[in-house]
Amino acid sequence: METAILEKDTELSRLLNRLTQGDNIDECLTCGICNSRCTWFDQQGGPVPRQIVRMALLGLERELVDSRMLWDCLICNRCTQDCPMGIDMDQVVTKARGTAAAGDQIPEDISKGIKNRLELGDVNGLTKEEFVETVEWVAEEFADDMEDPNALILHDQPDCKFLYLPNPRELGINLMHLTAMAKLFYAMKETWTLSSNHTDVTNWGYFVGKTDVEEQIARRVVETAEALNIETLVLSECGHAYHVLNCRVEQLLGRKPGFNIVSMPELCLAYAKKGILKFDPEIHPYEIAYHDPCNIARKSGGYDAPRELLALCCQGVRELVPNREDGICCGGGGGMLQDSGTTKKRMSTGKPKADQMRATGLEHLATACLSCHRQLGELSTHYELGMKVDTVAGLASECLVLSH
Amino acid sequence: MTHSSDSVLVLGGGIAGMAAAQTLGDSNIQVHLAETADRLGGHAATWACMATDECRQCGACLADDMVHQTGCHSNISVHLNTTLDRLEKTKDGFTAHLTSGETVTPARIILATGFTPFDPSALSGLQFGRHDKVITTARLNQMLKAETLAGFLGNAPQPEIAFIQCVGSRNRTLDRDFCSQVCCKISLRHSDKLLHLLPDADITLFHMDLQTIGKETRCLAADLSTRITLAQGVPAEILTDPDTSRLRVIVEDPDTGARVAKTFDLVVLSIGMSPSEELNRMAGQLDVRPNLWGFFNTPDAALADGIHVAGCAAGPKDILGSRQEGWTAAAAVLKELRHDPAPKADILVWGDGHNADTIARTLAENGHTTVCFGRGAAVDGLTVLDPGRILSVDGTAGRFTVRYEQEGGRSTLTCRAIIAAPEPEYQTLAGQADLSGALDLTAFAGTPAGQLPEQTAILLDYAAPETKAGSRLALNKALEARNAGRKITVIMNKMLVHGAQGQQIYDQARKAGVKFLRYNIPEDIQIQKTDTGFSLTLKETTLPGTIVTLHCDQLVIPETSVPGPGIDNAARLLKQEKDREGFLQSPNVRHRLTQSPRKGIYFAGPAHDDVDHTDLAAELDGIMADLDFPGPAQHAGVEINQKKCAQCLTCLRICPHQAIFLNEKDRPEIVPNACFGCHLCVANCPALAIESASSALDQAAEEREKDQTVVLACQRSAALAAGPLTLPDPVRLISVPCASRAGVNLMLKLLVAGAAKVIVAGCHGGNCRSMNGSTRAREEVSRLLALPGIPPDKVTWHSVAANETQKLARIISDTRISSKDL
Repeated sequence: METAILEKDTELSRLLNRLTQGDNIDECLTCGICNSRCTWFDQQGGPVPRQIVRMALLGLERELVDSRMLWDCLICNRCTQDCPMGIDMDQVVTKARGTAAAGDQIPEDISKGIKNRLELGDVNGLTKEEFVETVEWVAEEFADDMEDPNALILHDQPDCKFLYLPNPRELGINLMHLTAMAKLFYAMKETWTLSSNHTDVTNWGYFVGKTDVEEQIARRVVETAEALNIETLVLSECGHAYHVLNCRVEQLLGRKPGFNIVSMPELCLAYAKKGILKFDPEIHPYEIAYHDPCNIARKSGGYDAPRELLALCCQGVRELVPNREDGICCGGGGGMLQDSGTTKKRMSTGKPKADQMRATGLEHLATACLSCHRQLGELSTHYELGMKVDTVAGLASECLVLSH
Repeated sequence: MTHSSDSVLVLGGGIAGMAAAQTLGDSNIQVHLAETADRLGGHAATWACMATDECRQCGACLADDMVHQTGCHSNISVHLNTTLDRLEKTKDGFTAHLTSGETVTPARIILATGFTPFDPSALSGLQFGRHDKVITTARLNQMLKAETLAGFLGNAPQPEIAFIQCVGSRNRTLDRDFCSQVCCKISLRHSDKLLHLLPDADITLFHMDLQTIGKETRCLAADLSTRITLAQGVPAEILTDPDTSRLRVIVEDPDTGARVAKTFDLVVLSIGMSPSEELNRMAGQLDVRPNLWGFFNTPDAALADGIHVAGCAAGPKDILGSRQEGWTAAAAVLKELRHDPAPKADILVWGDGHNADTIARTLAENGHTTVCFGRGAAVDGLTVLDPGRILSVDGTAGRFTVRYEQEGGRSTLTCRAIIAAPEPEYQTLAGQADLSGALDLTAFAGTPAGQLPEQTAILLDYAAPETKAGSRLALNKALEARNAGRKITVIMNKMLVHGAQGQQIYDQARKAGVKFLRYNIPEDIQIQKTDTGFSLTLKETTLPGTIVTLHCDQLVIPETSVPGPGIDNAARLLKQEKDREGFLQSPNVRHRLTQSPRKGIYFAGPAHDDVDHTDLAAELDGIMADLDFPGPAQHAGVEINQKKCAQCLTCLRICPHQAIFLNEKDRPEIVPNACFGCHLCVANCPALAIESASSALDQAAEEREKDQTVVLACQRSAALAAGPLTLPDPVRLISVPCASRAGVNLMLKLLVAGAAKVIVAGCHGGNCRSMNGSTRAREEVSRLLALPGIPPDKVTWHSVAANETQKLARIISDTRISSKDL
């Protein structure tokens, strides 16, 4: 048993107790509700939420870092969803991850990704030239496919209605997804562009709890969008980016961005409601289950748009149980998916999700986050669920009815 | 002054409403009691009896008794299935249109709309409504009452059962940052009852801070701590095991600190109280403004002129507290209506300390001529006499004679009522070796902010149990010191958040940066004196496996109160038995909170329970309500036929209420208003000289038909329980004033007359209003069975509370089956 001396004035306790009501961890009632709601459930190991809060508030920073719980936490906020004092676990954990004491625990992949993102604008290290080359090649293919020279994928084009912020996977392993999104924009009959100044939607500054990094990345996104004079920033399907740019950007920058921010599924739904986008649900002759990405749903309140859009594209949406506020993390949140060394661990943290998926008895599942998408697909394979996993916007694109 | 035309509308027929209606009715006020349900009794009437081998003082059976009395009261019109439709204010009061179509014109209104149990389906993680083995305390009560629990559990021999506390309480994000005050006590009693019924049950009680409020709850919790698992931390998520469908919760293992799964057959959600929906609906009509929670228990809530509130409508409280508030509200109404109170006669207050001072001063301020055998200063209407000199107390209600010594001489005074409020002993723990140099909490509280040390630790619950007053003082002073820039750590096993704003004060203290450390048992703390103060090393409960060390300049410990010579002395002179814990308190809920088995004698303050100053004020209001508006003189109909009396004085010796005294002719005489009508004297008079209506029982016994099963039922318990039953023809129920009336003679008469079986049924031990009636009845049954030729199942004794209808039905049915077997 270790003896810890209560040091009240640690970096972490100063950071956390400066926060306003609800985030002031001093208020913790030690009710233990959070312990029962962690999605690690009874898997071996894993964080014990109340211990994290108690260590942080008692100034046991070293003990907290040494407990190795900080990077096991999926920062899904499910544990504190029912917190009677309104504490948000992601605030506590990310701030703890950002302290000097926890500095050497940041996964190497994430440090490298952040460095790339800050230097090149892309976590995967795609240079501006490579980006332009890739986009222009995809654009050519797209125009051919659509048999319309006006089917455009532009980059760095000012005064468009939309700026699209893709997931890095759309510029590498999953180019088809970018094309699928382009098809949706095309059907909306609106102008849109990509930007070579910052090429992806991610903001890993959030995962590492370094507000300065998070702010730099967010500022670059916002300032680029403002320079391009766009009306609306459209986010690729990405959970943490949705959360940062919807819920945290104003606080990070100290001001509101000069444009609207929506996600791709939200945009598609809006255009479907206007009668501009039309879908043929017969393309997907099956009922589909929907997974709530924690960052979009519980942490940002984005529950309904993906469900409504899916309902237009398939034969009904089946809920996983539990869902929405009580939804279970895919098991890859909090930066775990971004760390290539976690594959085995992710299959363990994802087991409750896999159980939920299996319980539906369905063969199809969709989600509105490309990270969740990847994890859910791997879970389907690992646990032999036989479930095909798609993204919501991807499915929408597949069943899009193009009117000529 | 007579006000025969005054009427009062009481909204709500639960405990508080019935108590208010009875007090008003007893003062000749016409009461309209409107109840939305189709019966009186409120929630309490749906609760199960918590008695195990003896009464557990839950008070639920009082509801049935009160329903009976309220229904019979000639001044109370009960309007069932009825509520207020529309209200108009008039010059003298109100015109109230009831939903029944009737219009009444009350001078005053008492709001006693009670509470609505919190609906846990709002907390989706708990699976309430989705899994049939997740139930609420209310449902558990219903099943216990109907005796269906074992079947519901599939007759599992060793069921694993969990209680989850604070469901819908102590939750700021739900705008419910209050403690519901009663749930911990209920769950502890439930656990005890379940173990009584299912001895092999494995029970876990998950709590935030076990609210062991009151000495009996403390003792019960201590007793249960070895029989059930008390686990700090409340799960908010219940999972279903996909293979077994059993309930599974994830909790922290207190030894390893890892999360582990525990499975249960049944999870009971200990749900908090919300204001009644009725009140929400009527608030506008009544022009009252409840607080954010919907109650009236904080200063920001407001009532309107002519409207009073009582019971859980005012704020969460237990049955006895609700009843007391009903009485108090009725007394306030009677005062407003200028009804004549009983003559302001002499009251004796007894107690050497600030509680007795407060009581005496308040009584004097309210016009009672008061003598206080205590300290404090004399004021108008208050005489203060030396406390140590009472020699004897004789007499009964209305005329006590007190002999005392003063300045060498002996004097006598007479008084109408006696309020015993002796101080307990306050032990300071600073004398213990490891605590030497520690400061008493009271002394710390008196230290001016400027002189407080830099770092202070307040250690609660360490060598003696935490009390309401101690925890409140600790919280307030910690907050004050923190706001003065000091570092304060409170080290506790649990935080008692009693009272309306207890939770809010605790929230404020944490928010202000007062640190709270938890420990499990005192052995988990090591205290060392250092050059500059103290060094404490403890195993922190929320961080299993971690030992934390804390340095402080000052260590503060609350004093503890234990029964002392003051209480012993009062008990001896007032001829009252001390309770199990050594305090002055009637074991019987019928007399509580402040009355005693002896009419006219009251107990108040910490002499009888863990009472803080808020409770004391409420107790005093209750006592003054009783003094001012005692209702009509009771006559139990028991009289001594002086021609037959042999002056053996058996009656005088055995009367549990000291209602019999020797008159000027040295003959025993019963004081009607002091008599509770238990008929113990009737049953025991060797000369058969004490007569009452129940003397006819013996006659009736001889006239029984053959082969009947006869139930001799105490009229305050088993006879009430039989009320709803339709007894089959060969069963006859004879209501007796007290089970002790079922003596060997009466039972023999029944058997001689041909009764097939005799069932004697009365109160649970500890709940006999006349103290030992049920013990006596049990002894009489044993005596009878010891006679030759009486088969053991011919006559049986059973404890049956007023709310145990199903139990009585089962006893009767089982008895009849066994007689058929014969």
